[in-house]
Formats: sequence, C-alpha cells, structure tokens
Amino acid sequence: MTSTKRNESFRNRLQPTIKELKFTLTRLLKSPLSVAGLVFIIYNIVIAVVAPIIAPNTSGVRMLDPYKIPRDPTAGYWMEPRAPTSKYLFGTTSAQVDLYYGCVWGTRFAFQLGLEVIVSTLLIGLILGLLAGYYGGFIDEVIMRFTDIILAFPGLILAMVFVSVLSKSGWTTINAAILSIILIGWPGYTRLIRGEVLRVRGEDYVEAARASGASDLRIITRHILPNSIYSVIIVASLDFGSIVLTAAALSFLGLGSPPGYSDWGRLIFDGVAFASNGFQYWWTFMYPGLFIIIFTLGWNLLGDALRDVLDPLSRRK
Amino acid sequence: MENQQTVAQIKDLYLNFYTYDGVVKALDGITLDIKKGEILGLVGETGSGKSVTSLSLLSIVIPPGRIEKGHVEINLKGKTYDLLSLNDATMSCVRGKYISMIFQEPRAALNPVYTIGDQIGEVFFHHRKAELIESAITQLRMDLETASGLKAAIYKRELSLYEKMRDDPKSRTVWLAQKIPIVNRFRNRMKGAARRYIVDMLKSLNIPDPGRVIDMYPHELSGGMAQRAVIAMSLSCNPVMLIADEPTTSLDVTVQVQILLLIKDLQRRLHTSILYVTHDLGVVAETCDRVAVLYAGNVAEIAGVIDLFKKPLHPYTQALLESIPRPGHKFVSIRGTVPSLVSPPKGCRFYDRCDYAHDRCIHVEPELIEVEKNHSVSCHLYYGET
Amino acid sequence: MGLREYIIRRLILIIPIMLGVVVLIFAVVQFVDPYARVTLYLRNPRESDPAVIEKFIQAYGLNAPVYVQFYNWLTTMLQGNFGYSAYYREMVLPGLLARVPSTLEIVLFSAPVIILVGIWIGVKAAVQKDKPFDQFSRILSILGTSLPSFFFGVVLSAIFIAQLRWVSAGRLTPLLSTQWSLMRNAHTWHVYTGLLTVDALLNGRPDFFVDALEHLVLPVMVLTFIQTAVLVRVTRSSMLEALSKTYITAARAKGLSKDEVIYRHARRNALIPVVTISGLLVGGMMTGLVITETVFLFPGIGQWAATAAQNFDVSVVIIYALFSAAVFVLANLIVDILYAYIDPRIRLG
Repeated sequence: MTSTKRNESFRNRLQPTIKELKFTLTRLLKSPLSVAGLVFIIYNIVIAVVAPIIAPNTSGVRMLDPYKIPRDPTAGYWMEPRAPTSKYLFGTTSAQVDLYYGCVWGTRFAFQLGLEVIVSTLLIGLILGLLAGYYGGFIDEVIMRFTDIILAFPGLILAMVFVSVLSKSGWTTINAAILSIILIGWPGYTRLIRGEVLRVRGEDYVEAARASGASDLRIITRHILPNSIYSVIIVASLDFGSIVLTAAALSFLGLGSPPGYSDWGRLIFDGVAFASNGFQYWWTFMYPGLFIIIFTLGWNLLGDALRDVLDPLSRRK
Repeated sequence: MENQQTVAQIKDLYLNFYTYDGVVKALDGITLDIKKGEILGLVGETGSGKSVTSLSLLSIVIPPGRIEKGHVEINLKGKTYDLLSLNDATMSCVRGKYISMIFQEPRAALNPVYTIGDQIGEVFFHHRKAELIESAITQLRMDLETASGLKAAIYKRELSLYEKMRDDPKSRTVWLAQKIPIVNRFRNRMKGAARRYIVDMLKSLNIPDPGRVIDMYPHELSGGMAQRAVIAMSLSCNPVMLIADEPTTSLDVTVQVQILLLIKDLQRRLHTSILYVTHDLGVVAETCDRVAVLYAGNVAEIAGVIDLFKKPLHPYTQALLESIPRPGHKFVSIRGTVPSLVSPPKGCRFYDRCDYAHDRCIHVEPELIEVEKNHSVSCHLYYGET
Repeated sequence: MGLREYIIRRLILIIPIMLGVVVLIFAVVQFVDPYARVTLYLRNPRESDPAVIEKFIQAYGLNAPVYVQFYNWLTTMLQGNFGYSAYYREMVLPGLLARVPSTLEIVLFSAPVIILVGIWIGVKAAVQKDKPFDQFSRILSILGTSLPSFFFGVVLSAIFIAQLRWVSAGRLTPLLSTQWSLMRNAHTWHVYTGLLTVDALLNGRPDFFVDALEHLVLPVMVLTFIQTAVLVRVTRSSMLEALSKTYITAARAKGLSKDEVIYRHARRNALIPVVTISGLLVGGMMTGLVITETVFLFPGIGQWAATAAQNFDVSVVIIYALFSAAVFVLANLIVDILYAYIDPRIRLG
C-alpha cells in the first residue's frame, strides 16, 4: 500500500519538473543564438565520441595514452612545421606533431578533463555545502573561512602555485593541473550550494518534515537536495566551458599538458614560437584556437540562453 | 451630480501585448468617462486590464504592449486634447501636472537611492520651476537690501543668473553655471523654495515631522507614510485627475482606512477627479461615486455606486457581488476561469462562465449600451433596451 | 550600523584572511623538498652555494616540526626577506618591485577604458534592448567571453608584430631598449615614477614616450576586450533589472523625460551591483595580465611569475601569489566600502 503511494507521489512530484524542462527546451529552441550554442555543443560531443574513428592511430606505434599524439617514426623530428596535406589534414607543428590528431583528440580530452573537474568540484561542493548550510554554526564557520581563503586568490594564479609546487614534488604537470583546477573550483560550488540549502531550509515544507520527526539524513536527501540542485546543475553546465578554458590557459603557460599532447592549449603554446613568423605557419595556432572558440562559444551561448529563459520576468507574459 | 463636466474620456481603446506566446488582446474596446470632482472606481480581477487602462490614460505603454486604436482625451479649460496623438515631450508636460498617478506598493514606487525630498522636488523642478525661480528672485531682492560687500556682489550675480533663467531658459550661461561644481550652488535658493513647498504638502497630508521625513530614504518609512509621500508627490501640481492604482492593497487595514479618508478629503477640498483602480468591492462601496466593472479587457458595466450594488445588471457584476464572503452564507465563487486573451472568444468574453448565456453571446460581442440613466452595461440580455 | 563601524569591521576581517592566505601558501610549499624551500630564506645570491644551503637547512630547521618552520618563515618575511630566485638569480622582493611599474602602466591605461566603455555600452544596450546596438553588443560580449585571451593575443601578435611589423614585442623597440639600458647605467635617465610613459616625458624624450605608448596598445587591447565584455554583460542585465522596476514607471508618470528617467533614476540603481563585481574584475585583470604579458613579452610581474612557474621556481611564484591575494583582498574591501556608501539601504541599515 505504501509503496504504490510512494511511487505515485514520486511521479506526481516529478511532473512539474518535467513540465518545466519541456517548457525550457521549447523556449531554448526559439532563439537562434541558443540553437547555435546547442549545435556547437552537439558537434563537440560527436567529435569527442568518434575521435578514435576519424583520427585513428596510423603510425603503427602502439600508444599507451591515446592522448599522446602518435608519431610516425619515418616522419622525422624536423622543427619546421609542415603545411596541411592529405596525410596531415591540419598540418604539423614543431617536431612534426600531427595537428589534426591533436585537435580532434583534444576535443575528447577537453570533455574528459572537464567532466573530471566538474564531477569532483560538484561532489566536494555538495558535501561541504550541505554540511555548512544545514548544520550551520561551527562547521559552517570553518568551511566558510576555508572558502574565503581560497577565494582570496585570483583563480589562475593560485592554480599556478599548485601546479609548480606539485610538479616540483613529482606530479606530472597534467595531473597537477587537473588537481589545481579542482582545488580552485570547489569553493565556488560550496558557497552556491550552501546558499541554496539555506534558502530551502527556511521553506515551510522543511519545517513540516522536521515537525513530523524526520531524521536529518531523510530531510537532506528527500527535501533539501532535490530542491537546491536545480540551479546548481545549471551553473555547473555553464561552468564547463570556463573550466576547459582555464585548463587551456594553464597549458598555454606551459603548466598543463606535456609536449606532444592532444591539448589545445598546449598546441597553441607550441605554436606561439611560429607566430613570430606571422601567418607563415598559421595552422599551428589557428586550428587549435578555432577548436577552443567553438567549444567555449557553444557553452556560453547555451548559458546565455538558459539564463534568459530562466529569467522570471520574461517567462509568464 | 447631474450635468457634470467630463474631465477625461477613453473611447474605444484597443491595446495588444506582443509576447513570445502570441498576441495578447488585453484591451478590447474600452470606453469610459470621468467627470469632474468624482471618484470613479475601476473594478476587475487580475488580468482584466485595469492597470493597463490607467497607464494608457497617461499614454504610458510598457513594451511589449502597443495601443492599436482608440482615443484618450482630457478636457482642459474648454479644449479637448487627444493624449495619444501627443509626442512624448508634450506628454511629459501633462504627466504629473494635469494627470498624476499613485501606485500599489509605495516603497517600490519610490527610487531607493534618492531622498523623499529629492523625489518630490523633481516634480516641482519639472513643472513649477517658474514659481521656484520667482520665489528665489524675491528672496534675493530682499537679501540684497540688507547685504553689503562681498555678499552683495555674490547676490547680484545670483540674481542675474535667476533672471536669465526666467527670461531665457536655454541660455548658455545658465547651462554652464549649472555644470560647474561650486557655482551651481546658486540653485540652493530654488531648492530651499521647493523645500518649503514640500514641507507644506507633507504637513497637509498629516505626515509628522516633515522636516525630517524630507531627508529620509524610502526604506526608512513605513508603508503608510510612504504612500502619503507618494500622494504628496502626485498632488504637487494640483492635477485635475489622479489615478490611484490599488493604493491601499499592500497596506495594513488600519492604515488603509486612513489613506482612504485622506483621498476622500482631497476630493472634497481640491475637487480632483480620481480614478480608483481596485479589486476590493468594499473599498468601492465606501469611496466611489461611480463604478466601472472591467472583465477580460472589456467594460462590463458602468453605474453609480448605489445603482451598481443595488441593481447589478451584468451577470459578471452579479456574480462578483454574490461571491463577497458573508457570515452565515456559503462560499460562492464564479465557476470557470478568465479566457485566454491570446485567442479570445469571438463573442462575449464572459460567455463560458455566464449562467444566462445564449446563442447570440457566442457569436456577437456585446456593446456598451446605456440601459438606464447613468447605467450602462454590455450584455446581450439587454439588447434592444435603450 | 553606521558606515564607520562597517569600515572598521571589514578592515579587521582582513587580518584573519591574510593570515589564512599565508598559512595556505605555507601548507602548499611544504610539499616541496627542503632544498627548494630553502631558497625562501636566502638573503643574498652568494648564499646559494651548496655548502651554505646545508647550513641554512639546519639553521632554519627545515627538517624541524611544522610550527617551528612556519614561525621562521613568517619572521623572515616580516623582516622583508622573501627569498631568492634560483631561476632569475636575484632576490625575490626587489625583483617583484622592479617589475610592478610596467604592469601598473598596462593597468592604468586599461582600467579607465574598461570601466567607461563597459558601462556606456552596457547602459545603452539595455535601453535599446533588442535593437541593432543591443544585438551588436551582445555578440561582442559573447565573443569576448568565449575568446581565449591567449589566442586573441597570439593572433594579434601574429598580425601586428610579425606580419605587419608595426610594433615589436616587449616594452620598447630593441634599438630604444638598448639605448634605455645604457642611459640608465650612465644615470642619464632618471627614474621618477617607474612608469615608462610618464618618465619619458619627464626626461624630455618624446620619442621614448611614443614608443612606449605604441607597445602598450596591443596588451591593453587584449586585456580590455575580455574585461569589457564581462562588464558590458553585467551592466546590461543590471540596467534591464532597474528599468523594470515600478519606480521607473512612477518617474515617467511624474512627467520626467525618457532621458531623465534613464540616466537619473535607472542608471544610478543599475550601477550598484556593477560596483560589486568590479572587485572581481580586478582579479580577472590580474589573471589576464599573466597571459597578456607572456604573449607580448611585456616585462611585468605577470610574465615574471609565469616564466618562473614554468621553471618551477617556487619563491617567485609564492610571492606573486601573496601579492595578488593582497591586491585582490584590498580591491574587494574598497568595493565593499564603496557599495555600502552608495546604497543608502546599506548605509542607513
């Protein structure tokens, strides 16, 4: 008897959410800019997924890390980049590194990195934010001071510190970079979630649940979590673009991926040297740059559109 | 009350909102008139178009709205002016001066970063600047008689500036003088004059300690005080008509009564016509002389207040009066909901909620007909009963 | 609470934050082995000799318990010694201070542009919502936030420095740069402010002035473009929010002209949230400086720290981080106070 009731009420509770999602989706599809954003994102997802198919390892050498751009041993190690040909669709950069492979797998790498970072920061943010917001008091103070301290630094700069220190103590730069971005990212989510929890905590249904004797865990999981997570998911998906951008910036400064890696930022780092020849070797930096732009543009457009759609003023008219 | 002058009229006003979800036909041919010195109630539920109607009187249309056709006219000193045909610059001389408006949430209607005095002063500076200049000049002339030396020189300069302001308002000298930091202190005399007027106004509205209130910010005032301040602002130029858009809805009941009494008192003293927009029939019964009932963008009925309550003609009005909760009676509400104004019904918009609906009501829109003396209704029940 | 109490309270709050910042950096540094950490204590270049280093490790107890080390480090810093840079072979604090003026020049030229242009575009775009100007500004601001600054910089440098050769990388044209060093060594160039443009005028050398200005154009362009895009976005949405308020309709109902309503009433309110994010903009500028200076080989603190980081020179990166944090915290403090001052609702409680 109770189980069917619970299933029923679950579906009922989900109904308005589904309606909201449908409404949001139809509104999103109305604006050309947001459609463009969606197109860009889907394009990126497709490329990332089919990377092994459209950019296979043709060098004959087995690579342990697919993100390391495979090198044809017969191609040589000349420093001068080669222009795009039928074999090297986007040309090569220094030491005959295949740009096509780098850019295509770079998409996959961007998603992987982004997902790793987002999932980690969300998890940390969720746990700490829930604790801080729900229990308040001393725990809240401690967690908030922690976030204050990390947020006292401009993001990238603290990441630079982390990367240089970690690298010096033996970490690979790329892992150091990923950890650094996580370390500078979690305070933001902690604060956000804490804010949402505080807001939801004051709502009447939470009071009611508490009055009817529900345990803390139950209140958190069944009431607070579902209601605070909505806006957080939105921020996280918007943040995706800027995380990848930060990673690319770190790689550009030489603090990210190692040489010969499928990372757009790293490729541009390699290409900077050739930019001093003007556009003679344009492919060394234009292609990776274009890939980055299409990636971030997609997320930003979607983010803008989402923000407009969720603006309560323009919704109900 | 008979043969009163009409101070303003709305004729056949159509207004649409162009939104993402379609074209909302908000006003569907509104016709009203407001007589001199009367309080006309404008009653309707949310979405009936009452706020939009009142804003249209000031020729303020908030996008995505647009007036499709119709006339909004005021009658001043024997001449009739079509407000919708005036350009914005001319209209801004009308607004605040001949027609004023007060709003539902008083503290929201005031800019939070300026003091009460600043905001009321704006009205004076915009519409009654000549008086301020004159007042400043008079004062200066008096001061000049007793001053000497440096002070006299400064006063002479100020005087010439003011006279220039009065005679040649667009002069370069005046414009320049207003921009330069210390020199523009000369305007303090005008500000002082304005201040005196404002304090008087606040006093006349029973605001205690007006000298202090004038320097306060909106968030420092209570709802009732803020509404009085807004009323003071709207009456600064002694308008012929005041539009009150639900001025007491957001206030405590006790404060409500005070404000209502205040408004009635103003009508008595200043003979201002008041368009009182509300959804509260109780307030209407207490305050208004005539009432117009709005439903879904149409005028359902217009009558004197006693006639309306005693003998409501339109089924909607009847249903409204029925639904007022009374002790000992069951709760009655009007069945159905307001129709979508994006695709409104072809005929009467009240059709699907009306107990007396018949065939004609589906196809033909009813017109506003004067069925009895000073009692008009737009309903097919009275078709052919002029 | 009055304004004065608010200021005092905020000032006091800085202390625990800065302390926390120092503790955090210290904790992070502990990850590195003692031989690298010792560079933080060396007082002059001669002390980088291995034998001396061993002595230092003993003396400063770099193998001692954590709190002892922290105390040692704190006192060393408070004495003004921020260590030695193995990579640059110079003392760190003087190295930082020597390069601050160059970065300051970029900031001084960028900040007014960002603020004035950003606000002007943002306000106008909101007022003319959905009209051509607004569409144009939205495209610009989306581009600005999607364009990686380093890519923008690289492309610009490829076009203007490499291809068109209008200007060279670095602070001055190589020829003038050598001249400048020579003059400095011969004391014929007096350093008044450290800002090359100002000093050039004060030294009576308009040619240096023009050259220095030319070399500022590209870095300033890159920095301002991105930050202005952010500011435009915030200003526009803040202005739209302000314009939707009841007091705007009320102001129009009073008879005020459209211009008066927009500029006197809406804008004042719209700028309040804009002030708050200005603090963040400062942070964004500091991050942007690192990249911009690196791309254009501009000898400021950003490039200094970036190169050091690449070579894992811990002491430089640390002082840069501490410096950035201090500037950021200060900027946010000023912004908070400004905000409390402007908004009467905060000021008068």
